[in-house]
Amino acid sequence: MKLFTITRRQFIKMVSGGLAALGLTPKVKGTELFSSTSLKKPAVVWLEAQDCAGCTESVLSCLEPDLKTFLLDTAAIRYHETIMKAEGSIAESALDEAVNEGGYILVVEGSIPAADARFCRVSGKSSEETFVKAAGNALVIIAIGACASYGGIPRAGVTGGQGVSYFLDKHGINKTLINLPGCPCHPLWFFDTVTAFLNGEIIRIDAYKRPLKHFGQTIHDNCPRRPRYNANKFLSDWNNPGERESFCLALKGCKGYTTHGDCPLIKWNDGVNYCTANGAPCSGCTEPPFYDELSPLYAREE
Amino acid sequence: MGKITIDPLTRIEGHLKVEVNVESGRVTEANVSGTMARGIENLLKGKDPRDAVYVTERICGVCFAAHGWTASLAVEKAQGTAALPDAARILRNLIASACWLHDHVLHFYHLSALDYLDLSVLTQYTGLDPFIIKIRDLVKNELNNPPVEGEYAGPLLPSYSADEYCIRDVELVAGLVQHYLDALSIQAKAKKMSAIFGGKQPHQSGIIAGGVTQVPDPTQIYVYRSLLDEVASFINNVYVKDVIFLAQALWPLAKSNLGVGHQNFLSYGGFPEADGSYLYPEGAIINEALVENNRSNMVPYINEDITNAWYVSGTGGHPSESSQDFDLDKPGAHTFVKAPRFQGQPMEVGPMARMMVAARREDHPAFMNPSVQQFISLIGQGMRPGVIARHAARALETQMLCKAMERWLQEFDSLAARFRNKVVIHDTAHWDPPYSGIGVGMTEAPRGALGHWIRIVDHTIGNYSCVVPTTWNSSPADDAGIKGPFEQALLNTPVPDENNPVNIGRVIRSFDPCLACAVHLYTPKGETSEWIVP
Repeated sequence: MKLFTITRRQFIKMVSGGLAALGLTPKVKGTELFSSTSLKKPAVVWLEAQDCAGCTESVLSCLEPDLKTFLLDTAAIRYHETIMKAEGSIAESALDEAVNEGGYILVVEGSIPAADARFCRVSGKSSEETFVKAAGNALVIIAIGACASYGGIPRAGVTGGQGVSYFLDKHGINKTLINLPGCPCHPLWFFDTVTAFLNGEIIRIDAYKRPLKHFGQTIHDNCPRRPRYNANKFLSDWNNPGERESFCLALKGCKGYTTHGDCPLIKWNDGVNYCTANGAPCSGCTEPPFYDELSPLYAREE
Repeated sequence: MGKITIDPLTRIEGHLKVEVNVESGRVTEANVSGTMARGIENLLKGKDPRDAVYVTERICGVCFAAHGWTASLAVEKAQGTAALPDAARILRNLIASACWLHDHVLHFYHLSALDYLDLSVLTQYTGLDPFIIKIRDLVKNELNNPPVEGEYAGPLLPSYSADEYCIRDVELVAGLVQHYLDALSIQAKAKKMSAIFGGKQPHQSGIIAGGVTQVPDPTQIYVYRSLLDEVASFINNVYVKDVIFLAQALWPLAKSNLGVGHQNFLSYGGFPEADGSYLYPEGAIINEALVENNRSNMVPYINEDITNAWYVSGTGGHPSESSQDFDLDKPGAHTFVKAPRFQGQPMEVGPMARMMVAARREDHPAFMNPSVQQFISLIGQGMRPGVIARHAARALETQMLCKAMERWLQEFDSLAARFRNKVVIHDTAHWDPPYSGIGVGMTEAPRGALGHWIRIVDHTIGNYSCVVPTTWNSSPADDAGIKGPFEQALLNTPVPDENNPVNIGRVIRSFDPCLACAVHLYTPKGETSEWIVP
């Protein structure tokens, strides 16, 4: 039974995987500005555009590392709409001040509308304008979640939401970008990347600027349902305990075969669960075509 | 007279702009605007109906589970699901309710409580808690001018200056900041609970059209139960006590009219029980009269007005007729939020609306619940239905929910013991989308009444619409000039210092706004009488 054919997209992925094997992987060099001996905490400016705050919530779902340590010891959160005490003009000047000082980690959550900038405005400015200004003085940019990485769900709508790389290209801004896709982004993908960057490590990334450490393998590679896939056993009814517990979810639309991520290895929410272990098909949320081109999510891929 | 604009109004979900006019220290005019749109409902057109559960779940990353849950109810109706299996009902209750524990705790400590604390007094802290000492030093540094670069107290500073209603006792402030830090792990644990049955959080994957995807094993139930013990203990012994303490410490504020609005309240009824009733009762209160107590009867009276919203003119009216087309150049429009009205009235939804309805439903088991009775008693003592009452209602309903969750766990235990390997969790017979169908899903989300409407045409989504809690609450004025609940609640708010309008945020935040939810595009087409309500 042949369920999958290789698409152009997968071919590109295979080629970029091959480059990695030859040691030709693109990579990001971390900074040594914030060594452990330095007293200075790195500043974080966190911009939210067409977001749902789900990636913020995901980072806040982390139990280890401890959030209070991150907030008090590791980073200086200079701007973050959802959690900062400042509001109105105080928040606006906090952002201006941080951007003028420069040298911060810029985290972008949510897509930015490309069809008409008026679909997302904060402080009377379009999020595109705010992003361009903040990107110029950033040390590095982290696009958190599917929307900021590749446009995600909003890309399919009339607002034409696009990811960070689209706007870096559009405005000719040359900055280091790391994409941490997912809907939402896993907290460890975020903390791991920030920590590696601050420790001056080299972060190997794939053709879509995702760290290979977390996105080097597919869900299928490590899926506990893989042995049943190999034996051509596919779930057709969630009420059947045997099928539910171990059969492959391909007939229910699982995209794990072509989706990169280490969900089966690190699991979610302090390691208690993740989609395919829970009997839910992988939606492909870490892949650039997500969501529009991967729909339907619950029907077998044609 | 002064005009004040607060944009962004932070510590809420989404992007909100508030503009007020102030005369003689009081707000005389208020406009609130949702300033971001994504077009979620529109992009669902032509998609597989089952995708709606997944996609609408992503409307909001804070009240996760609420949208997926409601969408599944709408899709199930449209697909002709006979009855949701009882095990799926219980598991969905447990997936969603854990999110409420997260949501309410996070809303109070991390989003709202900071409005009532003068953090500068921490510079006098002489206690030994290592984390409070760290915050003390960061606050000290930031209050120096200029501060040492890199040592910022963000996200706790900068802020507006403290006013007369801020707590200034150093021990009390240190205690509440300690709870702020403790609540970081409590809210994360509540999300973890939800993920045990839901796959992951935010954005669970376990709720699908027709049911759920997994039957938890005894170990998972054990882990869930032990986490519930821990989180419920925090809620009962810390959260509820802090809120009641705050209400008493700020009793002049609780008795004042700060944040009192139209006093119309709407609840669709939340968390289905085995007997078909709801944990939080249904009801609509207009001008102090309980005008409706059945959710099915509410549907025909829900209308949306777009006079002041960026949608094409002349397309408002009943949800079944309104359009989804943006008009960003529309004169006079200032928001992406439509103006839903029930029987022509703006309605407040959310925890206080649920409590107000429960307090009027003497026929419903919730009426005798100790949490509801405590709320009734606070109102009896003179607490006005404003800012403090909203926080009190939220805390008390969380307490009520913890008890119900223990009960649902027991229900699941006995069901699992009875059916063992034959527990039914999914309506597989109605899995494939039919040629056509219509359905409505109605639930209560943490922030209030939530409804999803779907029409299936040619096996795909012909129309999709969500009428969401914050759409009700943050709605602009309608064509009759009647203001939405946020705007009405802002009128008369004291602003003694126009450079320090701290009360504006207090009023807005007491509603727990979610603007990503509020901005929706569409409303269903069809005759109202057709809608089938679960």
